[in-house]
Parts: sequence; C-alpha cells; structure tokens
Amino acid sequence: MTLLANSGWRIERRASRSSLALISALLAAGTGAILCCSLLFVAAGADPIAAFAALAKGSLGSVRAIADTLVRATPLILTGLATALAFRARLWNIGAEGQVFAGAMFAFWCQSAIGAAPAYIQIPVIVLGGLCGGALFGGLAGLLKARFQVDEVIATVMLNYIIAYVLSLLLQQGPWTEPGGFFEQTAIVPDEAKLPILIEKTRLHLGFVLALVLAAILHVVLHRSPLGYEIRAAGSNLRALQFQGVNAGRLVLVVFVLSGAVAGLAGAFELYGVQHRLKSGTLGGLGYTGIIIAILGQLSPRGVVIAALLFGALLNGSTLMQIKTGVPSALIYAIEAIILMFFLIAWAASRFRLRRLRHVD
Amino acid sequence: MWTDLLEAGIMASVLAAAVRIATPILFAALGELVAERAGVYNMGLEGMMLMGAFIGWLATYSSGSALLGLGAAMLAGVLLSLLFAFMVITLQIEQIVTGLALNLFASGLTTYWLRSAFTDMGSIPGITILRNVPIPFLSDIPFVGPILFDQRIVTYLALLSVPAVWLFLYHSRLGLEIRCIGENPKALDIKGHSVALRQYAAVLFGGAMAGLGGACLTVAATAHFVPDMVNGRGWLGLVIVIAGAWTPSRALNAALVFSFLDALQLQIQGVGIRVPYQVLLAMPYVVAIVVMMLRRKAGRAPARLGIPYSRDQS
Repeated sequence: MTLLANSGWRIERRASRSSLALISALLAAGTGAILCCSLLFVAAGADPIAAFAALAKGSLGSVRAIADTLVRATPLILTGLATALAFRARLWNIGAEGQVFAGAMFAFWCQSAIGAAPAYIQIPVIVLGGLCGGALFGGLAGLLKARFQVDEVIATVMLNYIIAYVLSLLLQQGPWTEPGGFFEQTAIVPDEAKLPILIEKTRLHLGFVLALVLAAILHVVLHRSPLGYEIRAAGSNLRALQFQGVNAGRLVLVVFVLSGAVAGLAGAFELYGVQHRLKSGTLGGLGYTGIIIAILGQLSPRGVVIAALLFGALLNGSTLMQIKTGVPSALIYAIEAIILMFFLIAWAASRFRLRRLRHVD
Repeated sequence: MWTDLLEAGIMASVLAAAVRIATPILFAALGELVAERAGVYNMGLEGMMLMGAFIGWLATYSSGSALLGLGAAMLAGVLLSLLFAFMVITLQIEQIVTGLALNLFASGLTTYWLRSAFTDMGSIPGITILRNVPIPFLSDIPFVGPILFDQRIVTYLALLSVPAVWLFLYHSRLGLEIRCIGENPKALDIKGHSVALRQYAAVLFGGAMAGLGGACLTVAATAHFVPDMVNGRGWLGLVIVIAGAWTPSRALNAALVFSFLDALQLQIQGVGIRVPYQVLLAMPYVVAIVVMMLRRKAGRAPARLGIPYSRDQS
C-alpha cells in the first residue's frame, strides 16, 4: 500500500462483494491452477496438453467414465457437506477424516451383527450404522469442545490419528480379520449388503442419489429451520446468540453430531458401495479433501455438490492420465490444494479495490 | 519384562532417545511459539515440517552435504511461511483455513515430487545421516553424559534454542514488540511501528524453525523420505505450545513428555513386551487430548491470537 501512497491511487476495502467477485475469484483460481498444473506436468517431463486431454477423457469420456466420476464424487459430497455444516457455525471440524472411518466401522459392525438378511433390511442398517458411527465419533469431539474446552481443531486431528490405529488394531489379528488372510482387511461383504447399482455395467451405486438427497435436506435445514438459523448465527456472532438464550454448548454438540453423521455416511457408502471390504488405508484423504470442497463451495450445500463433482472428475481422470502420460496421479492432491490456495487468495483479494483519489496533495 | 525398563542402563538409553526424539518437535514448537506470541496461529506447521523433511532429504541427497540439506529445508520453511504470512497478514484470510490449505498443499506436492523424481518406489535412495557428536569430558559423566552430551549437533542446537528464544522474547526490544502485538497491537501501531512487518518476521522465523525441525526427521533420523512422514508431529507442536503456556521453558518440558512417551514405546517394543503396536503409536495422540483437557490451569493464550490486525477495527 505504501507503494501507491503518492500515485493518486489507493487500495481500499470494499463494503460488499458482488456475485461477479465470486465468479472472477473462481475464474482466477481455475486459471492459476491450470497454469501451475502445466508447470508441474512439464517438470515431470510430460506434455501438458496430452495430460489434460487424458484427464478429461478419463473423467468424462464415456458413460462408464462419467459414472465413475459420480462414484468418486459421492463420498466427497458427504465429507464436504459435513465440513461445511460445521464451518458455517465457525466450528473447525477437521475430523471428517476420522468420522469417515468411524462410520464405515460402525456400519460394518452393525451389518455383521445382523448376519444373513435380505437387502431391504441390510441396506437401512448400513445407512443407519454409518450415520450413528460418525455421529458418535463427531459427538466425542463435540463433547471435548463443549465440556472440556479442548480446541476442536486439535481434538479432531488427534482423533483422526487415533481412529486409524483403532481400525488397524481391529483388522490385524483382531475379530474382523479375514479368516486365513494375511492383509489388514475383512472378508468381502455379502452380496445382499452391497449397495444397489443404479446403471448396469457401471459402479454407480445408490449412495450417490442418497448423497444428493442429503445435500437438499441440509440446504433446507440451513436456510429454513430454527437450527439452521442458530448454526448460521453462531458463525457470525455467537455472543448475540447466547444473549438470545441459546445454549452454546448444546449447539456445539448438535453441530458436531450432525456433521459427524454426514461424514460417517461417506464411510459406509465407500465400504458397501465401492470397496466391499474394510481395509486400513483405503478410506484416507476423503475427509481432508472434504475441507477443500467445503471452502470452494462457499460452505453452501449447492456449492459443495458442484465442487465435489469437479474433484470427483479430477480424481477419476487422474488414473488414465497416469497410464497415458506417466504423470503420477498423486499430482491431483497437489492440484486440489493449489486450486484452494488460488481461490482463497483471489477471494480475499476481491475484497479490495483500486480507487483513484480525487484530491492528491 | 516390565522391570527391565527400570534398569539404570535401559532408562538412560530411553532418556537419551527422548532427548533425541524431542529435537524436531522442539524446533517446530519454539518457532510456533514466537509466531503465536505475535498473534498468528500457524496451523500449517505440519505442512511446513513435511516440506522441510522432504527438501532436507532431497538437498542432502543431491549435494551430499547434510548441512546444505538443513539450510535448504529452512529456506523451504521460510518460503512456505512467506506465502502463509501473505495470506493471513496481508490478505487477512482465516488463519485456520489457510493453515489447513498449506498442510494439504505440502502433503500433495511432496508426494507428487517424490513419485515423479523416483518413479520406481524401490529405488528411493537413502542419505548419510548426521552422526552423534559427543562433547569431550561432559559425555563421560555417568548417566547424565550419554543422555545430554552424546547427541547430534541439531539436538544441541534445539536445546540451546530454548534459552535463546527466551532471551529474545523477554530481553530484546523486538521480542517485547512481538509480545506486545499478541496482546495489544494498537499500542505499537500508534507509536508508528509496523505491526505487519513484525508479524511477518515472527511467522518467517516460525517457518524456518519448522523447516529445520522437519529436516531433522530425515537428515538426523531416518535417512529416507516417506509421504506424510511427519505423522502429526506438527500438530503435537501446537499442543506443546498450548501445554507450555506460550513460554519456552515450559514448552521444553511438554516436548520432553511427548518424546519420552515415544522413546518408551520404542523400548517397550525392543524388550519384547507384547502390546499391540497400534496402542503404543496412538498413545501420544491420546495424551495430547488429555493434556488439552487438563490445561485450563496452564496459562492464558495471547489475547489477539488468531485475530488479524487492521487499523479500522478495534
């Protein structure tokens, strides 16, 4: 700002931002990310155009590719929604990662407990199990925050590490280990427990539709219900809300339980819709990607769905990109973070404007 | 077997390991402490350590010099924290969100870089790690000698950083100013001193220390880089700052508690006590939560921690 001090121009904060600001921030983030990616492609010795083409073909090139993109997007919609819900209330739930594990584990526990049963019993049990597992684990973080004033970021991060070890313990020579197996994994789940496939010859499962339904429900809850009002109000001014007689501790707990439940569902869907067996390691990263998606989606359910679809496409396309160009698919995780950083910077910068001063002395 | 652990010889080696293991988190926590005293919550600590671990390893591998590796890691930490500082101080983006973004960025970039530089995962080379430098005479003192005076050079440096950071914060002008920013930035601003400049300095120092701490994991410990190898140590660094009530000496104590646990679990596995390794590895994270539950007595956070300073607002 000092640079411009005598030039007759000034950088000022805007009073409000237009929707044009959001669009330009998104465009700037997209362009920046594409440029950065191209640089990384070149650094890895690949032709950027071929790599982008493979990325597009792998994610949208056929019915099957599109279906797979939707499959990859499903858990991300849910973890994105979970994170957005908590962040809306300015509760920094970083624990979607662990709540995904908890949901998958609890769903598995419930589903194995009921034994042989037809699909119309198994599927609801799985859905409820996922919701409950995530809710319990999210609730634990909420309890630590509300009752013991433990910073929620630290509590949820620590719980993420802990649950991964708990799963590994249960899978390694534990009651869940596949009989006669070497690996840290359970046996394949029975056919009746697999989520129904929506389009034949693809992997698109029921979970995708349920995730969209949940997004719609959360949209209504956030904008049309007393709880949604409290969540949004807690995000902007918790003090004022408390003066209205709202119990802040209870609200913290409720938000964490809900947020955890949504993330838990992602774990249950991944387990019964895609992977069909519980393994250590294959559920990792969904929660952390959910944070990026929540922020890019402006913490709104609609935005989250759009961002999750985009990231689902990136993740799905990266496999073909790796095969065709040899660029490691790990690049996608770097790209996701780069998109987020560019977006944050562009969005923050759109708060400022350059203005010519009338009187310069 | 449990009684084996209490033998003097074994205890000495556990304590020596604890001091060694404390090195990376101590560096990171001290850097974070200074940044937080300046009111900036650097949640990107984990990512900065990871970047330091990777760059430290890569630079040592390509140059053959561990010293250059450590320097490069510090530089990487500084660059990453410069980006962080620009985002949270200049653009005033939410500090927690920015920190998380940085962690994900570091995790993605290091993994990608590793995979594209070494396509065959079996061929990832090791490096020659720093060796112990026993201090003459002092290292011969029974029991205490091997624990404190037969360590790597970075460990001595980390231990010396504790009084150095204390001296800086409490007995230098800039240290006073930085503490002032954490409590009442306006006071400094009114005097015509730049708040942002001092916050940048504190954050960059934090980044350099995090980079150095991360580099210790590869250059002074494992010789290999593994994706996401920092494994929560950055987050433990944040816990240590809180548990240490934002003072260097108590942060040292907190760091030693965590590293002692870590050393103990290595020894427990070593003497063949049959506890599932997952329980041992999860222990520090459980302890961190317990520490945070008990910390209410510990101390007060800087009043302006996490709140960006701007002249138009209170």
